[in-house]
Amino acid sequence: MMKRILTLLIALMFAGPAFAQGGPLRLTITDGVIEPITFAVPSFEAETPQAGQLASELTRLVAQNLSGTGLFREVPASAFISQVGSFAQPVAFADWRAVNAQALVIGAVSMTGDQVNVKFRLFDVFSGQELGGGLQFAGTTAGWRRMGHKVSDAVYSRITGEGGYFDSRVVFVAESGPKDNRLKRLAVMDYDGANVQFLTDSSSIVLAPRFSPRGDQVLYTSFESGFPRINLLDVADVARRQIATAPGEMSFSPRFSRDGRQVIYSLSNGATTDIYRTDLDTGQHVRLTATPSIDTAPSLSPDGSQIVFESDRSGSQQLYIMSSTGGDARRISFGEGRYSTPVWSPRGDLVAFTKQNAGRFHIGVMRTDGSEERLLTSSFLDEAPTWSPNGRVIMFTRETQGADGASALYSVDISGRNLRAVPIQSAASDASWGPLQP
Amino acid sequence: MTVPTDKMQTPGMYISAVGHLGLIGWLLLGWGMQSQPLPMQVMDVSVMSGEEFEQMMAARTPTPGDAPPTAPVQPQIEQTPPPPAVETPPEPAPVPLPVETPVSEAPPPPAPEMPPADVTDAAPAAPAPPEMPAPAPDLPPSDDPTQAPANRIASTPTAPPPPDAQISDIAREAVVPDETATAEVAVPEQQATAPEQTATEIVIADERPRGAVETSIRPIARPARPAPPAPEQETATAEPTPDPAPTPAPVPDTSDAVADALAAAVASSAAPAVQAGPPMTGSERDSFRIAVNSCWNVDPGSVAARVIVEVGFTLNRDGTLDGEPRLLSSDGDQSATSTAFEAARRAILRCQRGGYQLPADKYDQWREVVITFDPSGMRLR
Repeated sequence: MMKRILTLLIALMFAGPAFAQGGPLRLTITDGVIEPITFAVPSFEAETPQAGQLASELTRLVAQNLSGTGLFREVPASAFISQVGSFAQPVAFADWRAVNAQALVIGAVSMTGDQVNVKFRLFDVFSGQELGGGLQFAGTTAGWRRMGHKVSDAVYSRITGEGGYFDSRVVFVAESGPKDNRLKRLAVMDYDGANVQFLTDSSSIVLAPRFSPRGDQVLYTSFESGFPRINLLDVADVARRQIATAPGEMSFSPRFSRDGRQVIYSLSNGATTDIYRTDLDTGQHVRLTATPSIDTAPSLSPDGSQIVFESDRSGSQQLYIMSSTGGDARRISFGEGRYSTPVWSPRGDLVAFTKQNAGRFHIGVMRTDGSEERLLTSSFLDEAPTWSPNGRVIMFTRETQGADGASALYSVDISGRNLRAVPIQSAASDASWGPLQP
Repeated sequence: MTVPTDKMQTPGMYISAVGHLGLIGWLLLGWGMQSQPLPMQVMDVSVMSGEEFEQMMAARTPTPGDAPPTAPVQPQIEQTPPPPAVETPPEPAPVPLPVETPVSEAPPPPAPEMPPADVTDAAPAAPAPPEMPAPAPDLPPSDDPTQAPANRIASTPTAPPPPDAQISDIAREAVVPDETATAEVAVPEQQATAPEQTATEIVIADERPRGAVETSIRPIARPARPAPPAPEQETATAEPTPDPAPTPAPVPDTSDAVADALAAAVASSAAPAVQAGPPMTGSERDSFRIAVNSCWNVDPGSVAARVIVEVGFTLNRDGTLDGEPRLLSSDGDQSATSTAFEAARRAILRCQRGGYQLPADKYDQWREVVITFDPSGMRLR
């Protein structure tokens, strides 16, 4: 007995220190910093004489794209210690470390006729390694911006590990004229407000355009007939047609299903508005809600299994989630004020919404169970959020107060940082962010 | 002291008693004053049963018996002498035993009792003062258990009692096996150990290191032992005999289990202990943590902000990274993990700059580092 006790004591005596001293030094870090990642983009090399101008413009575009996310900060060229000679030349990492550039993008542009070839390489400066292999894109001079966006997306996604969103388009309602006689047209643009193209004329009012999952079609609500009706427009040739919805007085607030084959929308009959689904191929209609209330603004989850929508069945506008085949819905919004226009994030983890409370409007997000609600913006009137293809940025409409108030598109990071106005010549509203282009 | 039976029966015992008393007196009076250590043999002997001894030897000594434990009294003696010859070396035996052999080998001075290996390290003639502070010796951990005990006992020098055949029988059993084992094993090492005269003092030096650990256990059993070795006296006097006893002696008396636990504990703690002195202080750890903190860039909107990663890396003495950081574990899916790991890796690489500022004398404690990057406190709320 004594032996055992003694043995145990001795073992304990030595075991403690042995464990404490042996093995690696262990630390836990919980407080990092939140700051942009610094990057340097020396002007792309012009491999052919006539590519000089384009190389420089592409370089600027890439830098703007990255800086515009708020996640990156460019090291100005004036701080560079060394210049990058040729594309294949080894990189002097020490020089880039010295100017505290964490990432380095070098590129080269060649041009023959109107054919353009852009290639780039990305380096992690502090580890002295290349991130991914080199990539190159071929296109035409007319499409040079897309090539710049492609390069930016590749850089963004290699550094952040998430998909990019630069090479994407946004459909929106371009507005002109005074507030009491606003002219509205459908238009598409690059994510950054460039390349605006109009899809309809201003002869009738249009509302709430929605891109198809592939970005080749647009659903929108038109007042051409005097009543709101859902139309489908082909982006390529601007051909449009009205969709045969279930019978009702008004149909509006349409959205594509994830496969683009079906449309979910609201149909109003008398005092009630319910959510329906119509198959574009077969023309079949399915009623998904049946309550004596206004159920509208449906949005499908990325996997297509659920629908989030707004309803006033509790007495005020709140958010609900139900199966995509209908049935019982569960309420997810419980804060003060009214919630509307929910949109399911492409990542699937969040729902963005408009919230009206105490005389102000907010764009916010919450998890799909209603928890962790965060308001990202606050203004006289913010509404109609739409997600970037990677679920990282929300674009929305902000309207200024007063008789000469106008609406404009803004974007904000889901962290609530980096609020920016999308630079468009005209007033704009009701944006729908399309997918990343192929 | 508990040597059985016939006390005072034989003239040998008588002589022995007188001799002991004289020796003790002489020690008390003269020992402290002496500047020169006398060449004396120290013998540690303990009584134990043959079974115990066998068990012990089985566990420790790789080379079991050439000589059967009990019988060969004389052969042992003979065997012992041979060791001096160079022949023995071929046998690569376990380190611990070599202790005595050195003596026999070289010059007449039988003195060197303890661990030869250590001796080499310690300056030969150097001061043996028994000091408590124990700098870890270079001995391999395994040595300690075996040898340590011997040293303890050795401290009390005993004069070899007059030769008596009878007593020897009793003692033999225990002793014999040891010798054989010891002799064989020991030989190789001796040569290296060379320093002959140093022996006395060196012994003490050896004790030091172990002292820290073993002291508590030892004391009780050992002190009393000295007398037993009588049987071999003659031979013993001549040279090596004494040694064998020490090794086995301590163990049997105490509990094997305890010894084993101790040995294991010492062995396990010995390695790390050798690394460095005091543990890193809180502020040293904090400043390291803060250094990495300041470069850990978290993107709270990213899916990676929901992933906790554990990253390991190795540092050079100057605080710079030796090789690349490695991902050890993560609680997220692949893409989120790789993003989280990249952020952690960038933080570690970027903040090393000229090398992390860490206490150089504790290098062994921060050579390997594992950092857990936990962004849960930074998530969006």
